[in-house]
Amino acid sequence: MAIASIEFIGLLMLLTAVFFYLPGARSRRLLLSACSIGFIVQFLPNLASAGFLAAFLLAGYAIGCRMRTHPDLRLFALYLLALVSAFAFVQRYAVAEMMLGDAVRSHTVAVIGISFMLFRQIHFNVDAMQGQIPHSTLWGYLNYQLNFLALLAGPIQRYQEFAHYWNDPKPLLETRHDILKAYLRIFVGVICVAGISSLLLDAHDSMYSAIAGMDPKAAAGTPLGTTLQALAVFYLYALYMYFNFAGYCDIVIGGAALLGLRLPENFERPYFARNILDFWTRWHQTLGFWVRDYLFTPMYKSLAEWDSRKAAALAFLCYFVAFAVMGVWHGTGVGFLVFGLLHGIGASSAKLWETYLIKKRGRKGLPQYLQLPAVRFIAIMGTLHYFAFSLLFFSNSLEKFLILWHAIRHAWFGA
Amino acid sequence: MGELAKDLQAVFREVFDDESIELRDSMTAMDVAGWDSLMNINLIIAVEERFGVKFAAAEISGLRGKGQNVGTFLRLIASKM
Repeated sequence: MAIASIEFIGLLMLLTAVFFYLPGARSRRLLLSACSIGFIVQFLPNLASAGFLAAFLLAGYAIGCRMRTHPDLRLFALYLLALVSAFAFVQRYAVAEMMLGDAVRSHTVAVIGISFMLFRQIHFNVDAMQGQIPHSTLWGYLNYQLNFLALLAGPIQRYQEFAHYWNDPKPLLETRHDILKAYLRIFVGVICVAGISSLLLDAHDSMYSAIAGMDPKAAAGTPLGTTLQALAVFYLYALYMYFNFAGYCDIVIGGAALLGLRLPENFERPYFARNILDFWTRWHQTLGFWVRDYLFTPMYKSLAEWDSRKAAALAFLCYFVAFAVMGVWHGTGVGFLVFGLLHGIGASSAKLWETYLIKKRGRKGLPQYLQLPAVRFIAIMGTLHYFAFSLLFFSNSLEKFLILWHAIRHAWFGA
Repeated sequence: MGELAKDLQAVFREVFDDESIELRDSMTAMDVAGWDSLMNINLIIAVEERFGVKFAAAEISGLRGKGQNVGTFLRLIASKM
């Protein structure tokens, strides 16, 4: 069932209409649990997948409880290794295939949303170990992980926020105006996903087919025409990604608000970001913040404490590792790794440029310089185009980039 | 300004390399030039070393979050000492 489908939206409307007529927290929790179970069951292809999911979640919860009472970094490291290995096995990462061969290629386990569950689970375990989750219940944890509104593509909510809601699901929106705004947000989300992003994807696919030679009749045939088609592919995909993902978030955040749950926002005008570091505080924000909090920060902090003189240089290494992991988290192919590394380059370049500007203008002079209209315009345009370029690699292979590159080269230089 | 606040101000001045920083309880990350994610971690490392405390991942990111300021940071440090 797709999020922007008539079935999903119809059921969501029905649920939001009756939800707060149910008496008491227990009956509301039961209904939400039933919805989440009903939603995920349709995506589980076999019993093995259900078994894997149960083991994945129950082991995570058990380790989290153990960590809360007996924090043990070595046990946590072992668990993390096992967790990531299980994830790589199920998702068929190349490294798992190299180590386990046929066992990886032939298994039939498939769990939708497992990437998001992995990050939620690591957060739950780290926070439990560090005393940030003093209480939890298995039922609450399972509903946190399987919440049907955040199952497919986030947002990556923190357990504490969900638990606060789960203890007593009550209305979040106080006025009729706020409720209407939430319904409007869902409506806008449906338009973005089912309308705008579908049209953008169709246009992108037809341009790409023409360039890739799959539709010879549509091929431009001239250097300028081919270049324009390549540019259309370049811009259309970036627009499609935004409307599709931001629209999805509008639907689930709006739907959650009507059920009393405040899901975190995931987008804040990302195509107005002034550099790649700024970009990841605006695009898929909950992923950017997760990577910052549970990957970059502990990694950089450990290295800086180990050798404070080299801290500035080590930050760049951390950017590359953090963004590479973020890249391969999106998918298994080499394209996603390149996507992540490009963002590592972008983040490091932004930091280097900022360091240079601070030396030249002082820390207080930097904001004034960055607010200059021309500087702001160039920075925003540069970041937007750099991100759109990185999206050429946002797939399992390098095929898209290579096809565009060869098409333009062939059109202009004939070789 | 209490002793803890004075000590914290000294840490801020050292980390941000700016002797003109005058901390107030209501100050947020927006009020200190250069207080970004990376400097936030450098600040935490310096505070942990100076006051002999440890911060959790959620607390580190929370420092620059909504509703957080120097006053809440001081209270957090005090609660750990």
